[in-house]
Amino acid sequence: MAKGFYTDTTICIGCKACQTACHQWNELPAVNDGQVELTGNSYDNTGRLSALDWRHVRFIEQFPEDRSQDGFLHGSRWLMMSDVCKHCVKAGCLEVCPTGAIIRTEFDSVFIQQDVCNGCRACIAACPFGVVDVGQDGKAHKCTLCYDRLQHGMEPACAQACPTDSIRFGEVSELMVLADQRVADLRAEGVPAYVYGKEEIVGGLNCFFLLVDKPEVYGMPADPRLPSDNVPEGLGLSALTAAVVAAGSVVAFRKERMDGMGGEPPPDTGPDTVPHTGPGGGSPGGGGPPPGVDLVAFMSAVHGANETARGRRAEPKAEGGCGGACGCHA
Amino acid sequence: MSAELLAQVATPVVGHGFAPHWGWYIVLYFFFGGLCAGSYFVATLLLLLGDPRDRDTIRLGYLISFPLLILCAILLILDLGVPSRFWHMVFQSKNVPELMFKPWSPISLGTWILSAFGLFSFVAFLGALVDSGRLRWAPVLRLADRVRGLPRQAVVAWNVLGSFFGFGLAGYTGVLVTATTIPVWQNARLLGGLFLTSAASASYALLVLLLLRRGRAHSDPSVAKLARADRFTVVLELLLIVVLVLTLGQASRPITTGGFGVLFWLGAVGLGVVAPLLLHRTALGGWDAHRREVIAAVCVLVGGLILRFVVVMSPQYPMVPLWAL
Ligand code: SF4
Repeated sequence: MAKGFYTDTTICIGCKACQTACHQWNELPAVNDGQVELTGNSYDNTGRLSALDWRHVRFIEQFPEDRSQDGFLHGSRWLMMSDVCKHCVKAGCLEVCPTGAIIRTEFDSVFIQQDVCNGCRACIAACPFGVVDVGQDGKAHKCTLCYDRLQHGMEPACAQACPTDSIRFGEVSELMVLADQRVADLRAEGVPAYVYGKEEIVGGLNCFFLLVDKPEVYGMPADPRLPSDNVPEGLGLSALTAAVVAAGSVVAFRKERMDGMGGEPPPDTGPDTVPHTGPGGGSPGGGGPPPGVDLVAFMSAVHGANETARGRRAEPKAEGGCGGACGCHA
Repeated sequence: MSAELLAQVATPVVGHGFAPHWGWYIVLYFFFGGLCAGSYFVATLLLLLGDPRDRDTIRLGYLISFPLLILCAILLILDLGVPSRFWHMVFQSKNVPELMFKPWSPISLGTWILSAFGLFSFVAFLGALVDSGRLRWAPVLRLADRVRGLPRQAVVAWNVLGSFFGFGLAGYTGVLVTATTIPVWQNARLLGGLFLTSAASASYALLVLLLLRRGRAHSDPSVAKLARADRFTVVLELLLIVVLVLTLGQASRPITTGGFGVLFWLGAVGLGVVAPLLLHRTALGGWDAHRREVIAAVCVLVGGLILRFVVVMSPQYPMVPLWAL
């Protein structure tokens, strides 16, 4: 039974009660000990969702730049929206989390287990909505849908605090019926309202929004993609490139022979043209015999196979496994 | 709303994922991971196709690979927000010893590719140590004796399989960044192939450099062979870069413009791709062929590092001055 939020942005008054309640309940300290610089962006003083702000009220002022009143009552308006983790049905963060720290709870919410997260930060880049952030403790943080409150039959702190019921908490399917009804009412009044978060948005958002302008105006992607969408093609192209690299390398290695320049392999110089510095490695720079062990078996075996295949493994097996082809017995 | 008014409305930035703050540890991991996988691949290819003159190169390739892999693991652990929990990538921390394997998560997949490749790399490393006489520990020598008794096909299959994992390691890093919602990265589906090719060219360059340092002449057949393969991979790299930039179009701007753009065009493309090709063609500055070979190899390596730096950093910090990174 999926639980979530229905946020009707048309009745948000920008009071930030939700932000405050979230901070209080989740014991989230103020950013930078409360020494916050003004953002210069309307009444927004937190700027974005972050490890410490799991709710963020956006203020969108749609006025002429000279702030003249020409448009007043003719389209100029404030848009306000309380943003939050969408607890996506197909969650990018959950998908990429390599430790299993991000799980789906019995309420269908997406929850980061703080005792498992190791701070790889893959989820940060995977969320199409810019929700997850890394905290001072090196771990990823975001809205928990007040998992602790839900377990005790309470609603999340933000929804409870919202004075206009712009944020409603409940069963997602029931909330969606309410939202559809509200959309119909608004449209009847000529307001181009719609629900952002139906199935076409990454499989559906358990925390969805009623918007009256394009998603981009609210800072949300019109067509968010899941990180996994890119993986099969990327892997396929990598495999193809690997084949080309391997084939090209084979040709480059064989070219000498193809050109007839190489002819027969030259006299074996043996391994000790390279100074051995290790124990028993022979004299530095010298041509001393290799140590007691002959060339590592797999090297020699494969060498032998190659030479045989080319029909010029002239020497019968010498003293070691490589049949002398590698020069390890020179 | 009137059209005039609409035009004046400031459009907020479209929401997308935040930068994951992958920094120098990840840049270096991508670079050394490529070298680690590439040197194993080159050694294996020489094992299959080379001749006796390549023995040093094979040994070198295997000797380089495993220590680089350890370095990669250290870099990855240091990059974590909570490094002591690195093992959470391998085991389900609340259900040990159940393994943590999510193949659809590129980081999880990468963890397992790195671990699996580590096994191949370690075995090859031991083999090279035994071969060079640096390791004379009886149990290992006994093991080497056993391996010697295995059928050739099995040995070939083992090495080829290891190279597959190596390719996986070199390429998944590029796929990893595409599995995000960061503009540039998410559209750059060729990145896996580009990183893989760059890993191969850097590995050829590193081996050429080491052989030359060990006194081999540039005309030495082994060196010439590696240099030839290097040129092929560098040309392929150039091709992939061109296709990548063209397919990204406007989205490639963080990489191709500004300070990062200068670094990309001069460093990754100019130094890492064009300069080595030119050095093979022309007698620049009166340098002899040996010196040109050395400089070309260094250019490829530096260019490979710059490529990863630009690709990792520029989409995350488009507005940050280079010197602040
Ligand atoms: S909005 Fe982002 S953080 Fe929240 S569930 Fe969806 S992907 Fe995860």
